[in-house]
Amino acid sequence: MIYHTIYITMLILLSFMLLACLIRAVRGPLIADRLVAVNMMGTMVMVIIAVLALMLKEGYLVDICLIYAMISFLAVVVLSKVYIGIYEEKHHQKESHINDTIKEEMSDGNP
Amino acid sequence: METLEWLKIIVGSAFLLCGVVIFFTEIFGVFHFKYVLNRMHAAAMGDTLGITSCLIGLMIFSGFNYTTLKILLIIIFLWFASPVSSHVLSRLEVATNENLSEHCEIYEDLTILEQELACSETAESRKEEQS
Repeated sequence: MIYHTIYITMLILLSFMLLACLIRAVRGPLIADRLVAVNMMGTMVMVIIAVLALMLKEGYLVDICLIYAMISFLAVVVLSKVYIGIYEEKHHQKESHINDTIKEEMSDGNP
Repeated sequence: METLEWLKIIVGSAFLLCGVVIFFTEIFGVFHFKYVLNRMHAAAMGDTLGITSCLIGLMIFSGFNYTTLKILLIIIFLWFASPVSSHVLSRLEVATNENLSEHCEIYEDLTILEQELACSETAESRKEEQS
């Protein structure tokens, strides 16, 4: 009985903190801000799943927690790499555009 | 037997409470700081210490069985994964932010930083000699 009360209190506190993390993810001005908030949410969901595994006495939920940890880590790494790639691609396009205009001006100036 | 059970409950609850307090500190820090690289400092605390403390409390509750072993596996995985994800996130921020110098000092050349550090060290040692 006392274990059940502890688990329920834990779950309620963690769910309020999860809501605060979600607010941070929506408000964050930069992409990195949002990714940090998503990482925090992943951590808290892991604790919630582990608490549920003990509360419902279902051992296999801990396996799901482990897989959740791996997927959340993979999501952060892959999203960061994708955003770095997108930024460099944009930068490259801008630079090549500037170079093209400079070449055109030079060719116009020297017929 | 009765005292052992109560001891288990008290120690486990203490670990869980510690973890929840660390999570609360993490959220407070993330809302308090103004820039991502500062916020990441607060967020990495909960990723390692907070979840480790919570899961140790749950391990004490669980007793000695396979569930405890799996929870230990989660903690070990997070020790490896969390620093890597923090590092990749900070690299993302440094690579994509064009006006990073508004938020922190940037040294184009590492030798300048080394020279400044050497200068400050010699100044400190001189002060110590004078005093």
